[in-house]
Amino acid sequence: MRTRRARAAGVLLTSVALFAAACGGSGSDTSGSDSGTITLWARDSQKAFINIVADTWNKDHDTKVKVTVVPQANFVQKFGTAAAGGSGPDVASIDLVYLPYFASTGVLDDITDLANDLPYKDDLSAAHRRLATYNDRTYALPFTAEASVLFYNKDLFRKAGLDPDKPPANYAEIISAAKKIRALGNGTYGYAIAGQCGGCQVFEFTPHIWASGGDVLSADGKKALFDTAEVTDALTFYRTLYTDGTMPAQSRTDTGTNQPAAFLSGKLGMTPLGAFFVQVLKQNDKIDFGVAPLPGKNGGSASFSGGDEIAVTKNAKNKEQAQEFVRWATGEQAQTVLAENSIVPVRTDLIDKIYTPLDPRNKVLADAMKEGRTPYSTVENALFNDSNGPWVRMINRAVFDGDIAQAQEEGQKAAQSIIDDAP
Amino acid sequence: MSARTARTRDRGRGPVEKDSTNLVAAIRQSLPRAAWWAVCTSLAVLFLYPLYVMVSQSLKAPGEAATAPPTLYPHELSLDNYRALGGDTGIDIVASAGNSLLVSLGATLATVVLSTLAGYGFARLRFPGSNILFFATLATFMIPFQAVITPLYLLLNNLGLQDSRLGLAAVYTTFQLPFGLFLMRNSFAAVPRSLEEAALIDGCGILKAMVRVVLPVAAPGVITTALLTFFACWNEFFAALILVTDQEKFTLPVSLSVLASGNLGSVDWGVLQAGVAVTIVPCVVIYLLLQKYYVGGLLSGPVK
Amino acid sequence: MSGDRHRGRRQLPFPGPAATAGAVRRRPLSRAGRRRLAGVAMTTPALAMITLFFLVPLVMMLWMSLHNWPLLGEHRFTGLKNYRDALHDTEFRTAVIFTVKYTLITTPVLFVLGLALALLVRRRHRGARFFQFLYFVPVVVGLASAAFLWLFMFQSDIGPAGDLADHLGLGSRTTNLFAGSASAMLVVIGMVTWKVVGLQMLLLLTGLQSIPTDVEEAARIDGASRLQTFRYVILPLLRPTLALVLVFSVAGSLLAFDQFYVMTGGGPSNSTITAVYEIYRTSFIKFQLGYGSALSALLMIVLVAVSAVQLLLLRSSDQ
Repeated sequence: MRTRRARAAGVLLTSVALFAAACGGSGSDTSGSDSGTITLWARDSQKAFINIVADTWNKDHDTKVKVTVVPQANFVQKFGTAAAGGSGPDVASIDLVYLPYFASTGVLDDITDLANDLPYKDDLSAAHRRLATYNDRTYALPFTAEASVLFYNKDLFRKAGLDPDKPPANYAEIISAAKKIRALGNGTYGYAIAGQCGGCQVFEFTPHIWASGGDVLSADGKKALFDTAEVTDALTFYRTLYTDGTMPAQSRTDTGTNQPAAFLSGKLGMTPLGAFFVQVLKQNDKIDFGVAPLPGKNGGSASFSGGDEIAVTKNAKNKEQAQEFVRWATGEQAQTVLAENSIVPVRTDLIDKIYTPLDPRNKVLADAMKEGRTPYSTVENALFNDSNGPWVRMINRAVFDGDIAQAQEEGQKAAQSIIDDAP
Repeated sequence: MSARTARTRDRGRGPVEKDSTNLVAAIRQSLPRAAWWAVCTSLAVLFLYPLYVMVSQSLKAPGEAATAPPTLYPHELSLDNYRALGGDTGIDIVASAGNSLLVSLGATLATVVLSTLAGYGFARLRFPGSNILFFATLATFMIPFQAVITPLYLLLNNLGLQDSRLGLAAVYTTFQLPFGLFLMRNSFAAVPRSLEEAALIDGCGILKAMVRVVLPVAAPGVITTALLTFFACWNEFFAALILVTDQEKFTLPVSLSVLASGNLGSVDWGVLQAGVAVTIVPCVVIYLLLQKYYVGGLLSGPVK
Repeated sequence: MSGDRHRGRRQLPFPGPAATAGAVRRRPLSRAGRRRLAGVAMTTPALAMITLFFLVPLVMMLWMSLHNWPLLGEHRFTGLKNYRDALHDTEFRTAVIFTVKYTLITTPVLFVLGLALALLVRRRHRGARFFQFLYFVPVVVGLASAAFLWLFMFQSDIGPAGDLADHLGLGSRTTNLFAGSASAMLVVIGMVTWKVVGLQMLLLLTGLQSIPTDVEEAARIDGASRLQTFRYVILPLLRPTLALVLVFSVAGSLLAFDQFYVMTGGGPSNSTITAVYEIYRTSFIKFQLGYGSALSALLMIVLVAVSAVQLLLLRSSDQ
């Protein structure tokens, strides 16, 4: 009996001690790496080029970069949990939409001085710079750019009697072009979206609203603007594409994987996607495609400025080298490697030298990057990128169920409550 | 209840099984043999169809794997999808399989040892409060481990076990233990007490009596525990996804999710099915080899 | 246990009462003490493991549920606020309702099909054993792998199952089953049935085979029909197995996550989000660990209650 009680007491004490340690967050620091390496986390969608970038650095530096590729769908959660546990990487390449959140929580190193010392600091993508700033301090440097544009199949345009050199420039023209392409039959569709993909919907749908003069958040990010007339128009535009039968049924549940595949199959007339898709199409080399800006209701154009920023983490073991790497990543050598891998560089001063000459279609993407916008919010993930969040749900319900007014009303309410509940 | 179990066991071990009960006999008469075979065979086709899809899709050439409508069988057999698993996709499936194996075997060994010891303790070496402890352990069944994954992450971090295969194996062991305990306790409870008492009287210690005399009889329970634990760990997805970060330490299901997220937006279904096949086939093979023990073990008493 | 002990004692191979009388008188005390100690020693490693990696996190979870605890940044004590919020959380309520609906459909489907299969293959010849073996194969497949497999099978246009349905005139291969909440749920239930029903069959088969044949024979001799034998003899004797099967099945359904995460992503329009899915979203998408913990605690209470009630109902009427 005595043994049992002693044991029980021991177990209890151990648990309490562990519990206290865990809650205090003061455990042993096993993060980072030794001084010889810098650990770098990137999303799996970057795996095509991130290792090439790392290899380029490793060739002429003693400190080696070790890349960890993390599944994109779980990047925020993984980086967040790792940072909370003090076991994150030295450097992280982070989707720029999450920058305000991570900066606000203090897991990123303040690199304001480093950023201000860059000779080309004003030539970096404006959207990236805005997103990396929190309370007037800078927490990351722009790394890669992405821009949302309209891809269209020139062969199908020709077959449908449309001018392949004159892409549609407003909602009505897209709707009418989509109808003509759908009329070709044989399983051909006019326009496809990824209706169950938060990242896609914020990237591909918001530009229509911006191009029409509206917005999705107030300037200070404190008010959701999901119930505005511009949003109604854009939703009605998608809804019409769906009710016309020009949008395939897969669009409703597409998590972002069908849409590119459908365009690659040659049976899809138009779809909004990003610069990364140029590379895929060129490798595939079967589709004669064109690239156009995403238009507003009555013309105009806008683009979502996507891509990654690169940040040094607060717990980085090797801060000096990590900062050096981050600085190098915005330099000409690294940016050229990116451009060669069909990634839009973040340097507006270099873009006409290292990117635009590679392909005539790159011009559209470069222009879109320069003018691109990005919603700024510390709860961006919950509002937009969450595939079950209010943005996607509103679009999905409005477009496929049809009750636009109610979808907007509920979306606005849900979004506003997320903003209000933010810590 | 145990009496019934014990009796059934004894009966099962008897030389002749009188299984021609009236019910069975009646069913046999009313349902002609041919009809029975037809029904069973159609069901078998239904059960095997998804596995056929997996194998045939993974053996199609990449072009054929992407066609719509799909071909019914691979018109041209190709291992390209399997070759792509080697690294074209940026995911080293061989390394992932190694990780899965390491973690699963480690957790299985730990679970079997711990639950055999404790199962015997709970079944035969009662001490004050042992029943309460046993049922408290069983109650953890009902709590989803997803619920405690975040504190668990913080805890592993404090123990220096985060992002490690050892930490993952420890977590798996913990979550398989209640079921292992349940199986092993019932296995031991079903062993006639006489066996053990005889051994004890012969001068064996408690541990010796357990290992030498009782364990062999309860062996099907051990094998069942081992197989169930192995399969559960091999197939586990959620904890592996959260607790392991480094791609080099990913287990198979997590690597599959990376594969399914597509390299640049689109999923290569042929490669994905090859990955699914690599994950599923070892389980099916183990089951093929050990099914006698597996099913036999499951039938031999743990479930009363 | 008493029956077991009694039976065991009867078979004790003692040479004779006289020869061991002295030993028996002295041993029980000392041996019982040693056995208790050994029991404690043998169960401690497992219990320590469960304490460290389960109970400690569980207590932490309960502690966190009383806080506003973001993943990153400061946390502060808020008492029961999270629980109060949960009661008014429409998203969580929707998820709970869906989970209950899913459980209410899945449980009887699995149970009836499992029992039907068990009765079908309840024969002691090689063919029956072969089919038992075959029907059990999907059980060893992982839930995530099975979900990836079925996700492909039922993709519109490229999915072989839709194509087959088209050939057989049962449907169109271009139908996107995942676009409707009912059809999406049906596909998931199909997958789960395929993967799980073999286990239920086996468990029920075990239960059936543990029923002494003489009981059944006696009932038949007394003139009971086959249906009556099943209803009044087999079913009551099968109760412990039924309890087990039901508890597993209900708990599994109430905790559903993987299949919906992989196959529907909660869609269309968030109509297939389960309770665990909502907890996952709260903790790892919205990063509200405190609130997520409160939802976990609520789910836990419900699960324990449901399982306890099931066991009680099925056990008490057994006596």
